[in-house]
Amino acid sequence: MKTLVENITDLYKNRIELLKTKDNPKIGWISIYTPEEIFYAAGLIPFRITGEQGIDLTDASAFLGSNFCSYVLSCLSEGLGGIYPFMEGIVFLDSCDMRKRLYEVWVHNVKPRYSFFLELPKAINQPGREYFRLQIRKLITSIESHFDYKISDVLLQKAIDLCNESRRLLKELYDMRKSDTFFISSTATINIIKACTSGLKEEFNERLKQLLLFIKKQDNNGTKKKHRVMISGSYFDNSGIIDTIEKMGAHVVCEDISNGVKYLEGEIPQDGDPVEAIADYYYEKGSCARIIDTERRFNHMMNLIKEYGIESVIYFSLKFCDTNFMDFPYFKNKLAQNGIPVLLIEGEQNMTNIENLRTRIQTFLETRMFS
Amino acid sequence: MNALKIKDKNRELQYRNMIAVLGKYNNNPENPAGSLTSRRMRSIMNSYRLAEAYKPGSKVAYVGEQFPTEIVFAFNLLAWNIESMSILFAQADYADEFLHLTQENSLSRDICSFLRGPFGVMLANCYPYPDIILANDQPCDCLAKLEYMASKLYRCPFFTLNTPNYINDDSLAYLLRQCNDMIYYIESSTNIRFREENFRKVVDYANEAKDYYCKTIELHRKAMLPGVSRELHEIFSMNCFGLKETVRICRTLYEEALELYNHNTDRKKRKRILWVGQVPESTHELLGYMENDHEVIFWAPLWEGNLLMLDSKNPLKSIAERAILYHWNSERMKQNISGICDTYELDAIIISNIWGCRNMLGINPMVRELANERRLKFLTINLDLVDRKNFSFAQMKNRIDAFLEIL
Repeated sequence: MKTLVENITDLYKNRIELLKTKDNPKIGWISIYTPEEIFYAAGLIPFRITGEQGIDLTDASAFLGSNFCSYVLSCLSEGLGGIYPFMEGIVFLDSCDMRKRLYEVWVHNVKPRYSFFLELPKAINQPGREYFRLQIRKLITSIESHFDYKISDVLLQKAIDLCNESRRLLKELYDMRKSDTFFISSTATINIIKACTSGLKEEFNERLKQLLLFIKKQDNNGTKKKHRVMISGSYFDNSGIIDTIEKMGAHVVCEDISNGVKYLEGEIPQDGDPVEAIADYYYEKGSCARIIDTERRFNHMMNLIKEYGIESVIYFSLKFCDTNFMDFPYFKNKLAQNGIPVLLIEGEQNMTNIENLRTRIQTFLETRMFS
Repeated sequence: MNALKIKDKNRELQYRNMIAVLGKYNNNPENPAGSLTSRRMRSIMNSYRLAEAYKPGSKVAYVGEQFPTEIVFAFNLLAWNIESMSILFAQADYADEFLHLTQENSLSRDICSFLRGPFGVMLANCYPYPDIILANDQPCDCLAKLEYMASKLYRCPFFTLNTPNYINDDSLAYLLRQCNDMIYYIESSTNIRFREENFRKVVDYANEAKDYYCKTIELHRKAMLPGVSRELHEIFSMNCFGLKETVRICRTLYEEALELYNHNTDRKKRKRILWVGQVPESTHELLGYMENDHEVIFWAPLWEGNLLMLDSKNPLKSIAERAILYHWNSERMKQNISGICDTYELDAIIISNIWGCRNMLGINPMVRELANERRLKFLTINLDLVDRKNFSFAQMKNRIDAFLEIL
């Protein structure tokens, strides 16, 4: 299984080299609310900017300040450092105030050949839905104009199929994690999701199919029931924290984050107007801290807790990620009412020293698992 | 925050809680703005409105700083600006206890203290309970989230406006539709009918007050008028354009400014510094120190959105346009500040970053670039006006000293 997982995650690990070999123009994106289908339909390669190589934040901090979300700073650092020389343009959306500021600084200083800012309302209602449909149409017009390429309904439909297939396959993998008798590490799962956002969906789908086939052939991969943990919160990608949890004898079985289940949830209907279908899918996704309705996000979290049989929640927030922090008092209170303990962890993108966090996680889980 | 609910909704109790805090408010009559009649009128008006909000029969709407209060006034609702109240507690040296409450309830200390403050006040049950909460995402996302949280605390109706970032026909139509939906929502939630004639009157008052306001700005542009910029800023923060009392205050301020202008023979005595960002209270040591030898011009009253008159034939459309103009946007702010540089003949710009205000931090590079282009002296300072633990005047003074020296 390890080889098959690596076969997938290599798509992310080697993505810069792999993307360089592709002739199609590449577009960077940051938020999982970015409609990848439209780029695929236009023959473009959309890939997620993850900030993993933006480790030195000096220049980015000089622009945006050091008390800024480190994910945003890391992404900017990648842009300023020319990590993606092949990138034709970027499409950002108003996920939060800091990402809006990131867009402005990026456009002004990194100077991509193409840029688009997608307006995505933060309240879910009919006027917002209709407005977002208009924004998606504007994005299509903008891409058609810049790349001199007509995006037809047929092409959009094909792209919807491609992305839906990724979602279906990933959901299959996640559904397997609902069982006590199957285990795949959370780090591997997060890396699989990252591979899916590398702009190489066709290859990804083929490789994930092979992994799923292999897993299905096994009745049980030797796993026993363990304490079931969910990670929720900001952009998260820290294998050290996951290792700490798993070495305690607990299993992280669901990641309620953008590198996790949030990315793959739902499907775009294949009938009707494809533009509206794409717009409505992303608009109604609304389960991140960016939305105003905290209750909606909490209900989403509770559904996952029930579906995955979660016994403990670890709420991870990047330092200075205001929207995630604002939701926490409410979540803590409501989770307590539902008998679910939660541990708040504050971290940084690309942090390596997690000793103090390790102690807190260990203490939290010990009280949960052995008392 | 036990069970996330304010249990006691007795406004008399809430009033006593509030007065216990505000009784410590230390006003300094030596401040130049203190000598203006308009300032005293504003103070009386605020005190009256504050007391009214605690009366059992009053209808109170929580709003944010740049919320279109004209709509609220048309319903005869009392607009309660939850964020601006923070500075009152800071002046009363009482903010620490509120901030401590928020930490006890798991709110991060890294969140802007202008948001932590009101959250603490709500937890301490010092605000009058709201009949409705009306939010918008200005000046930031988290204010809207805080207002949502307030609706959960008080179990009351909540409506939020979503503001697009750019002005075009689609974005204006979208906001216009939301404003209309909000009007229906307020009607159904409060059982108060929206009366067009009330709204027209409110719009007329707003425009009349804004006319005096803009004429005062025009005088201020040409001469140093002690206390006037501060008063313009306070009126902006009050966000009460649309009330009859605000017309009187603005007219009085204009008359006072005109008198000061007519007696001012030396039009530009001191170096002019534009203060961009959150503003300390008038008695704050930092401002007192700077204003000894320099003229501080506050930027917020000169913000494009604040100067916009409402179209009396289609006021909601103007309100929509103003909302977008109020949204943080580097390019728009650069143009706006560039225009102020021209008209005010500025010598320097100070950006004041409040700990936790990411928008101001993010806008900073653009203003810095403008200052370089204009060859203006530029200084960024980080301070916290509510959570004094995040701010040391002694350290700040060193930076200010060095800056003033190069001026």
